Amino acid sequence: MDDLDRELGPHGPVEDYNDFSDDNVSKGGTNLKRPNVNPAMCKETPRETGFHRSTRICLEQIREAVLHHKWQEAAEYMACYPQLLEDTCLPPAQQNKELLWRISTNILHHHPNSTMEDYNNIYERMKHSGVRHHLMICLEHSFHLLLHGQNEDAKWQLSSAESWRHGKESAAQHQRAELISAYRSLLDYVIWCDKRFSNSDNYFDSDNQGMHDHFRQASLNLKEILKKPGVWDPFILSYVDMLELYDDHEEALKVLNDYAYNNNFPPNPNAHVYLYQYLKRHDASEKNLMRVLKVLHVLVPSHELMLDYSALLLNSENKTDIQKALGIILDMLDFTCWRTNMDVWKCLKTVIQRLEIQEDWENVVCEKMALREDWWPALHFTSFHASKDLEENPELWKVKASLAKILCPKQALKYTADRVTNGKRT
Amino acid sequence: MDYKFPEQLFPSFYSCGPPDPVPRYCARSWGSYDRVRPQAGSGPNSSWTFTSRHQPRGESWRHVESVPVPLLSPRNAFVWPLKPPNPEDFTKHMENFYVDHCFHAFGCMSELLGENFDFNGNSKSRYRKDSVLMGRVNNDLHRLDFKVCQQSYKWTRMKRYAGLMSDVLHEVPPQLLGSLLHEELTDQTDRLLFPEANTGGALAFIPFKQSDSQHGCLLYPGNPGLDLLTFHQVALQHQRGGSSSVDTSRSSFSFQLKGSIRQISCSSLLTQCCVGVRSNYFCGVWRFSETNEPRLLQVVKTAEVSTCINVSPHVLGEVLVASESGAVKLWTVGRGMQKVRTEESNLYFNAKSPWRWCEFSAHPRVMLYADRTGAELTDIRVNPVSGHTLFRISSASECRSGERLILSKYLGDAHSFHHLITTQYSAYIMDERFPCVPMLKWDHMMESPPMSCHIVAGSASSGSEERTTKVLLGSNVSQEITMLQYSGGRAEACSSRGHPQALLRPRESLKHLPAQIPHRLETATDRLSSPAAGLTCIQKKSGDDDCLCVLQLTTAGDIFYQILEPEQPNADTCKPPAAEDEHLHQPAATEPLQPASSETKTAKQLPPEPDVSETSSDEDVVGPTQNVMTQRVVPETPERNPTPSMDSEDSEFEPQSRFLKRLALQVVVNDDPELDRGSDLDTSVTESGNVAEDVAQDAVEPNNVQETVNVLSRTVASPVKLSSTTLVTWKHWLQKLMHISSDKKKRSDSSPYFKIQTEGLLQLPDECASEKEHVRSLRRDLKSCMSRRSLLVHGDTSTPFRTPDVVPLPSQVDTEAWTDRLNQRLTASWQGEEAWRSWWKEELGMNREEKMHALRRKRRRQKEAKRAAGDRLKLTGSFTSSVSYQSGLDDFSDLSGWSSATSQSAWSDWEGRQVLSQVLSQEEDVLEYAAPSTVQNDTPTPTPTATPQRLRDGRGDRQTPSKLNTFSVPQKQTQTSQRRNKRSADGYLSSLFAQQDNPSQHDCYYLDEEITTNPPPVASTSSQFRNSQSVPMGSFRADLSQDFFSASGSSQSQFISQSSQSRWGSSQASQPKKKKSRMGF
Repeated sequence: MDDLDRELGPHGPVEDYNDFSDDNVSKGGTNLKRPNVNPAMCKETPRETGFHRSTRICLEQIREAVLHHKWQEAAEYMACYPQLLEDTCLPPAQQNKELLWRISTNILHHHPNSTMEDYNNIYERMKHSGVRHHLMICLEHSFHLLLHGQNEDAKWQLSSAESWRHGKESAAQHQRAELISAYRSLLDYVIWCDKRFSNSDNYFDSDNQGMHDHFRQASLNLKEILKKPGVWDPFILSYVDMLELYDDHEEALKVLNDYAYNNNFPPNPNAHVYLYQYLKRHDASEKNLMRVLKVLHVLVPSHELMLDYSALLLNSENKTDIQKALGIILDMLDFTCWRTNMDVWKCLKTVIQRLEIQEDWENVVCEKMALREDWWPALHFTSFHASKDLEENPELWKVKASLAKILCPKQALKYTADRVTNGKRT
Repeated sequence: MDYKFPEQLFPSFYSCGPPDPVPRYCARSWGSYDRVRPQAGSGPNSSWTFTSRHQPRGESWRHVESVPVPLLSPRNAFVWPLKPPNPEDFTKHMENFYVDHCFHAFGCMSELLGENFDFNGNSKSRYRKDSVLMGRVNNDLHRLDFKVCQQSYKWTRMKRYAGLMSDVLHEVPPQLLGSLLHEELTDQTDRLLFPEANTGGALAFIPFKQSDSQHGCLLYPGNPGLDLLTFHQVALQHQRGGSSSVDTSRSSFSFQLKGSIRQISCSSLLTQCCVGVRSNYFCGVWRFSETNEPRLLQVVKTAEVSTCINVSPHVLGEVLVASESGAVKLWTVGRGMQKVRTEESNLYFNAKSPWRWCEFSAHPRVMLYADRTGAELTDIRVNPVSGHTLFRISSASECRSGERLILSKYLGDAHSFHHLITTQYSAYIMDERFPCVPMLKWDHMMESPPMSCHIVAGSASSGSEERTTKVLLGSNVSQEITMLQYSGGRAEACSSRGHPQALLRPRESLKHLPAQIPHRLETATDRLSSPAAGLTCIQKKSGDDDCLCVLQLTTAGDIFYQILEPEQPNADTCKPPAAEDEHLHQPAATEPLQPASSETKTAKQLPPEPDVSETSSDEDVVGPTQNVMTQRVVPETPERNPTPSMDSEDSEFEPQSRFLKRLALQVVVNDDPELDRGSDLDTSVTESGNVAEDVAQDAVEPNNVQETVNVLSRTVASPVKLSSTTLVTWKHWLQKLMHISSDKKKRSDSSPYFKIQTEGLLQLPDECASEKEHVRSLRRDLKSCMSRRSLLVHGDTSTPFRTPDVVPLPSQVDTEAWTDRLNQRLTASWQGEEAWRSWWKEELGMNREEKMHALRRKRRRQKEAKRAAGDRLKLTGSFTSSVSYQSGLDDFSDLSGWSSATSQSAWSDWEGRQVLSQVLSQEEDVLEYAAPSTVQNDTPTPTPTATPQRLRDGRGDRQTPSKLNTFSVPQKQTQTSQRRNKRSADGYLSSLFAQQDNPSQHDCYYLDEEITTNPPPVASTSSQFRNSQSVPMGSFRADLSQDFFSASGSSQSQFISQSSQSRWGSSQASQPKKKKSRMGF
């Protein structure tokens, strides 16, 4: 953190390395047809000194060695690369430091004889070598500790990073700070969980105050980060888990609903799954469950929960619901991954059986199959499929064969057992 | 199990804005874990584990051989130039066109005008009376075949004809042709640097059975034009520890197409395989199986250039075709085409690219539509079609500005919902169930964008060991192949495994092979460097004995394969004989030094058996080939390794130190690493608080790294070794390549030079007999040297080369001997224009008045000086004596001791000033001389250039005594001072100032100045001046730099000397001693 002035400089905290932007080609519009080709890690500049050249070549060698997994060689080159930092006239010193850190950790990750001590060395030193990447390296350091089972050290790292303050923050830094607090809270949750399991008989004793403290610390940050658009699966799960213990169902539902239905969030299928699971745990009405699954069906028609959905639909007495169930099962069977799944075919069979009670069931099936009639036979009912199913899963073949005539009544299907006896196809 | 969606994804922020303007350098994802997610353990008590998105540990695969092996023997091919054409060279191309296709260029008008010109000269009768005789033009035209000197051969006649007829003769106006050519060349450059037509790759391998993935059909384009679709049955033969190869002996089918093959897409359903082939304007579909020969089903012609073809993995006979019109059509073979989507413009922003791409997805009726800006999933059942974004260049996927989508691929084999999307910087795994957010992102670190890819499905997470899914990305121009690994995507979130690994490139293989003769090396390098055009992979998965065979097609039509094996955990115990290289610590497989030494080593290990090459050369190619074995035995490969034998011996014992030496690293020998580490920490502690703390700490870091390096690496690297079969394969391949290229008539792009016959012109007297004798003896020596396996050097030859007769240089012209005016003038003109001009002035008497004026002034000055200084006589005495001292400086040790003493003693500013003032006053004097007449030479002297040169030159010249000696005494005062114009005086001064900082060097110099240039009055002023201590140095400099240099006036300098004079009296008494020591010699 020696050169705050330079780092914060006249340009502001993070911002622009526009001068060093390597995509002038596309910006300048000289060649829009050809996307600019991947630059080397370090480009040759017109005014480079011999020192710059040697560091550039060194970097190139490191890249070569790393890409060919010659870690020893890379480490040897790396030993002299940090000379680069002694050069003061290279403008994006920050980038160089970050690159240096990345390459060195990368080598440590793969070098057969690297030790935890080496890691700590690199992390600690690089962390304090610049303002802009401090938080990032703190986060990575704690990840490293977490992955090696040192949860407490990681938590300490995160807490200290959380308390780190530095004047103006860029957007990226702000996001990292939020992530750091979220991860810290996640670790609080882990401790909270441990405490919950250790004295599972009475949570609300006075001697469990520590556990509640952890809850408070965790919930604050988790609640905060769940407001930001993003994918927060681990965070929301832990938050909801804690809320459930403290019977704050209102908040839990609110958070889950927000996560699933807020348009600013990416269309995460898990958001709906969590909501569904929560509702199911708390015995919500089938109507509510179906409402959640209906949205999920639009998003991911191939989701596992569609089996639940169709089961729910079959449970209801409504006529149209059974038709809906038919549509859902047929949608699932469109996808490659369900094609040989016994459960879905059986489910289809039950749906058809339920339908057959109705009067105009054939029309219903025809309507559903109208869109599929030109490709379903090729997808499911060719003679190849027949032979393969017979070979691998005769039961499946039986189910499919019985359904083939119903689903595609107009077409002559070859989904029969003949072929096997015939031998080779002509 | 593909239907499972990960229960927990890695946390990430989401924003769908445009990409960050902050450019991100490469290697952004290197070394980081990116994110971690928790996994609750099964037990109740604190058994939480964490998983990171980027996991450092992956499967490690290594090459069986260190070079890719050619699959087929080389055929005729068109090798494109490696460098793209320069669009500015269009005139050259036009010239070629006019010369090569003159009939097309000038046909019509030459028909019409032909009657009026008579090129034959003699047969007048056949032509009209008024026809123009063109006999001489004919001569000129004949000369066009040669390259002639443009200066000596002026085409005046041709130019006149050109002026007369250039605007009527051309069929195509040159302006139009020129602009079109320029456009075309620009286009070609683009195509060569970024061959987007080849996206997808024109190489495919289809295994016949899913259970037996080793046998299958390889599809590749043949012929020089890459327009022969070939179906070739191949089989991978591999045994761990044994030899591995691809068997190509089985039958092949081929189909001649009407355009070069750009992309081959194929899919197989059970036993039937369907192949879609795209060339620029044609798309065709073939069908075959193991038992059935391939047969063409249908071909369509597209109006626009088609950019993509993809065969459905769901339904046989369904093909998606995209073209530059922006339309994507679903082609059901035999039933016709159905347009499923059209986009006039790019999807998300205007990238000005007509390139379109389409892929199938997990749903047979949902397809992926992509262009350079992103990819959309389009449901083609509904009308009008609607799409939702799968991927776009945006901040959600952390793109950079300028990033473009290069390739998209449906990874149905690996995971039915995954798509691979590559840009020129990164590769993304997208899950179509959760669009917009990449499941995984790598920096692939390739030099040129990946244009083709192949996926090797890993086994699902069942059983003991989970195999990762491998993604092979291949770039075109740089021939790179990068292997990425990932796992997950089902119950667990996707995570990348290991580090991207670069595979071998054909263009680098020559380094590992025996050395080639230079002209062959060139041919082979050109051929091997042609851009890649496709990539595929044969996988063998039978229990432990896994292997991957990666095949790469180049635009020259060659296919190279490399075989990879998973690295055994205990690699030391079981090593395949052909590959005990490529160990982790292989220091320099790609280094220029290593291969040569390895060669020598292989040579040592393999007994030299020349009959190997003989037995293997049973084919008809017996051209002038080099013997592989002998080549390997000869230790010197000059183009690579200057001192190979030494190095190879060294490397056997201490490759580490040698390597470090080459790196110019300091070698730190750490016997006790702990101790050293402690001291390292100490240094960093002591350095904290420093201003440059950060830098210092970082500078300390390398020691740590290096220390680890030294401590960790004790393994001795074994050299790269190639199996003999590979060597033989390569040898044959190269032989055939040479055979072909020698057959091919190479069109030389330069016409022969127009030469004058010079035979016999410079012939020496007949010495044929002795010459022959000499050659014979040389041959004998060479033979004996070869038998000894040593170099034939000059000393070894029994009859040494005759030293050529020394032709004496023409004797130097003695200018003094030629005293006539012409010679004087010539002598003067040799000294430069200045001297020449002055000679003429002298000659014409133009400077008479000036001269008189100057002479008068000089007289006056001398008189004044005489009056002013009483001790003038003494000074002249010292002057002459110092000259003698100077000339004998080297001889007198006591005097040199004096000079060293002065240099040792600190140069007081008193003395500095003294000298400065001295020089200044000199200059003042000089300027006074120079101002009225800049040029004033009585006689041209033989060495007048010495002075200006001395002024301009670096200081070193002045300081060497030997140089001083060259200054002859007679040229002193007048000449030097007169010749010195203002400019040189400036330079002189500035050089003086520059020298002040390093006074010890300049004693001699100042002495010299005193000798050569000090006229007596100046000496007096200087003696006054140097005593004026009250004038501060700084002010002097400021004055001088600002005014003195720029102003030509002597008034300024006079001012200085006056001011110094005025203060003289006050300080004179204090410094008499030093003055004496200075002047006393």
